[in-house]
Amino acid sequence: MEIKLVGLTKTFPGNPKKHIPETTAVDHLDFTVKDGELLGLLGPSGCGKSTTLYMLSGLKEPTSGQIFFGDREVTFLPPEKRGIGLVFQNYALYPHMTVYKNIEFPLTSLKVEENEKDFAFLKESALQRVLLQAKEVHILLAKAKKDGKSPLDCAEDLANAFSISLSLAKEIVPLFEEDLEDFLCKASSLLEESKKKQAEEKEALRQKGIELSEEGELLREGKTRSIRRNLSKDEIDALIREAAKLVQITEFLERKPSELSGGQQQRVAIARALVKKPKVLLLDEPLSNLDARLRIQTREEIRRIQQETGITTVFVTHDQEEAMSICDEILVMNQGKMVQLAAPQEIYRNPNSLFAAKFLGNPPINVFHGRIQDGAVYLGEEKILACKEKLPDQEVYVAIRPEGFLMGKEAKPKDKVLTLQCTQVLTQGRDLCLYCSHPSMEGDRLKLVVDSDLDATPGPISFALRRNKVFLFGKEDQKRILF
Amino acid sequence: MDEERNNWKAWLYLSPVLLLMALFTFYPILNTVVVSFLKDYDSTKGTSSGFSFFNYGYVLGIAANNDVGITNHDFFSWNSPSAFSNTMFITFVTVPISVLLALLIALAIHSIRPLKKFFQTVFFMPYVTNVIAIGMVFGVLFGNHGVVNALFHLDTPWLDPSSSTWGSCMFVLCLYIIWTALPYKILIFLSGLQGIDQQYYDAARVDGASKMKTNLKITVPLLSPQILYITVTSFITAFKEYSSVVGLIGRSYSSDPNTHDLYTIVYYIMDAMNGNMGASNKVAQFASAAAVILLLVVLIFTLLELQISKKRVVY
Repeated sequence: MEIKLVGLTKTFPGNPKKHIPETTAVDHLDFTVKDGELLGLLGPSGCGKSTTLYMLSGLKEPTSGQIFFGDREVTFLPPEKRGIGLVFQNYALYPHMTVYKNIEFPLTSLKVEENEKDFAFLKESALQRVLLQAKEVHILLAKAKKDGKSPLDCAEDLANAFSISLSLAKEIVPLFEEDLEDFLCKASSLLEESKKKQAEEKEALRQKGIELSEEGELLREGKTRSIRRNLSKDEIDALIREAAKLVQITEFLERKPSELSGGQQQRVAIARALVKKPKVLLLDEPLSNLDARLRIQTREEIRRIQQETGITTVFVTHDQEEAMSICDEILVMNQGKMVQLAAPQEIYRNPNSLFAAKFLGNPPINVFHGRIQDGAVYLGEEKILACKEKLPDQEVYVAIRPEGFLMGKEAKPKDKVLTLQCTQVLTQGRDLCLYCSHPSMEGDRLKLVVDSDLDATPGPISFALRRNKVFLFGKEDQKRILF
Repeated sequence: MDEERNNWKAWLYLSPVLLLMALFTFYPILNTVVVSFLKDYDSTKGTSSGFSFFNYGYVLGIAANNDVGITNHDFFSWNSPSAFSNTMFITFVTVPISVLLALLIALAIHSIRPLKKFFQTVFFMPYVTNVIAIGMVFGVLFGNHGVVNALFHLDTPWLDPSSSTWGSCMFVLCLYIIWTALPYKILIFLSGLQGIDQQYYDAARVDGASKMKTNLKITVPLLSPQILYITVTSFITAFKEYSSVVGLIGRSYSSDPNTHDLYTIVYYIMDAMNGNMGASNKVAQFASAAAVILLLVVLIFTLLELQISKKRVVY
C-alpha cells in the first residue's frame, strides 16, 4: 500500500516556567512511499525519524498534517485499526510467553471480515493438497521417524513444511507406512475418500439451498455473505507456522524469548509484526541491538522477507551503510526536516546539500572551504576546476568524495591541480587509505581512498580530481551549487 | 585461595550481627522448640517433669484435660470457633481479597495521570496510622449509632459486647484487616508497574489487544514476581494476626471473660505466655507448642506457594 505524508508535524510542548522551549521533532514532512517499496528513514539521533515512524504507527499523534495509507486517511486512527506491523528497537517480545504465544497474541484479538466459509470443506482441501504430495510427505516422515522424533514432533515438522494446521498434521502422521508403495496406495484411497466427503458436503448444503464454491465459500442464492468473526484455532495455528517459516524460526516456537539469541529474537519480532498480514511494516532501528556480523546477515534477511511479501516497509536507522545496502529509497532527515529523498545511489552521487553529502558515504566526504572566482573553483591559491555554469564570485564549501582523488600514473601531470600533505598511509588490501591535511580543510584530517597498486608515501602529493566526485555547496544555505 | 585466606575476615565483620542474632533469634527459636516438648514446665524455676508430646496433644485438644486451668479447646476445636479456625478464616478471607483489591487499585492509580500523587497518598494513609487508633475509629464507625448503621439504615449491633455475634465481629475485623493491609501492597504493585517497559503496552496496542486483555495477559504476568512476594508475605502476616483483634474487639465478642471465641493463634500464644487464661501459672510450654505449630503451618503454606509459583511466575 502506498503511504503518503502531508505536512506532518509533531511539536512537543515546552514548559515556560522551567525555561524548556517548545521543540518541533518533525517539521512539515511531505513524502510518499510507493507500494511495495522499502524506505529508510536516515538521520542522526534526535532528527525526528523515530517520531515519524511512531506517528505512522499511530502510537503518537501528530500535531498537524495528515497521513494516508492508500486512499484512506489514517492520521488519527488508533494503531490496531491501521493494519500495520511494528518491530520495536528492543523487540518488546513478551518475556513470559513462548515464541508461539508471542506470534499468536496479535491474532487472538484479530477480527476478520470474510465471506462465509465451510471449514470442514476447506480442511478436506488442505488434506488433499498434502496427499497429492504424498512422496514428499513420506520422505519427511521417514526422516523424522529415523531421527527418533515423537509423533507430536513429526506432526509439527509436517505442519511447518506444508503450512497446514497442527491438528491436521496430527491426523496425517499415524497414516505413515514404512513402505512407500503402501503409503502411496493409502494416500490415494484417502484422497478419493476426501473428495467423496467434499462432494457429500456439497450435496448436503445444496439440499439447504446453499451452493459451495471451489474456495469453500458459501453461496446463498448465488451470493457470498461477509461476516465478522474471530479466527479459528486452526487458522491461527496455520498463520503462525507460515510466519515462523518465513523468518525461519520454526524450531524455536516452544522457547521463551530469553532463550533466544538477539538475531532470533529479532526474527520473532518480525514474525509477530507480519503474522496479521499487515499492509505496512514499520521497523524502528531493527539492527541496532545486534553485533556487526549478525547485523549484515539480518539486514539481508529483512530485505528478503520484504521482497518475498512485497510489503511496503519503512525502517528507521542512523547507520548510512545499513540504509544504503537494503533500501529502495532513502529519506535523509535533519532536525525534523526532510533533506533529501531519493534512491541510495542517487543521494550518494547527487547530494542536494552538504548534510546529505556528509551523512552518506564511508569514509565520509572531505570538506574544504573554497571559493568561486572568475568562473573557477579555488582551494586556497590552487585553481582546481573550471565552472561550466556562470556563477558569481562567492565563498563555497567544496566537498570531495574519498575516491575522487587521482594520483601517480592514474592522471596526467598537468591535471594534478591539488596538493595535499599526506601524513599516514594505511594499507587496506584492495585500497590504500591516505590520511592527508590541507590548510583550508574542515575537520582535522582528510581521508582519501586510492588504488593499492599506487605508491604513496607520506609527504606532499599532487592529485587530479574526478569532476563527478566534487560537489559545491553554498556557504549560507549549504545547498548544492551546480558548476 | 584469596577467598579462603580472607574467610576469617568475613566472619569477623559478620560477628556482631551473628552474636546478636544467636542471642535474640536462634537461641529463642531453639528454646521454644525445646520447651514445647517439656511436660509441666515451670518457667520461673526452669523445671519440668521430662520430655513429652503432651503439650502438643493438649494444645490440639487431643490429650485429656488436667488441672492446668485453661480449657483445651481454645486453640483447636472441631465445633466452635478456636484460635486455629479463626486464624485460617481471617487468612483465607483477607489475603485473597486484599491482594486482588490492591492489584486493582494499583492498576487504577497507575492508569490515571491527574491526581495520581494524591491518590497514592490517600491509599498510603493507613500505613502510617497507629493500629490501635484505627481500631478505635472502626469501633466508632461500627458502633450501635455509628456511621455505618446510619449510612445503610441498619440496626446491627456490630461490636456491641451484649448482642453482637461472631459473624458480625469477624466481618468488621476482616474489613479492618483488609483496609490496613492495602497500602503496602499497593505500594509494591505500583513500583512493580512502573518497572514494566512501556514498549510492551505499545506492542499490545499495535496488536489490537483490549485494555482488559492487556491487563490480564501482559500486566499481571509481568507483575507476577511482585504478586508472589506479596502473597507469601501476606499469608505470613495474616497467620500472625493479633494486634488488630486486640485493637478492635478483644478475646471474645461477648462480655463473658471465660470465652475466647475471637482468639487467633498468636493471641493464644500471648495469653498463654502472660497467664491471661485463668491459669494459676503461666503456661509457656503450651505457648511454645502453639508457636511451633504456627511455624509449621506458615512453612507448609509458603512452600506450597513457592511450588505453585514455579509454574506461574515468569523470570
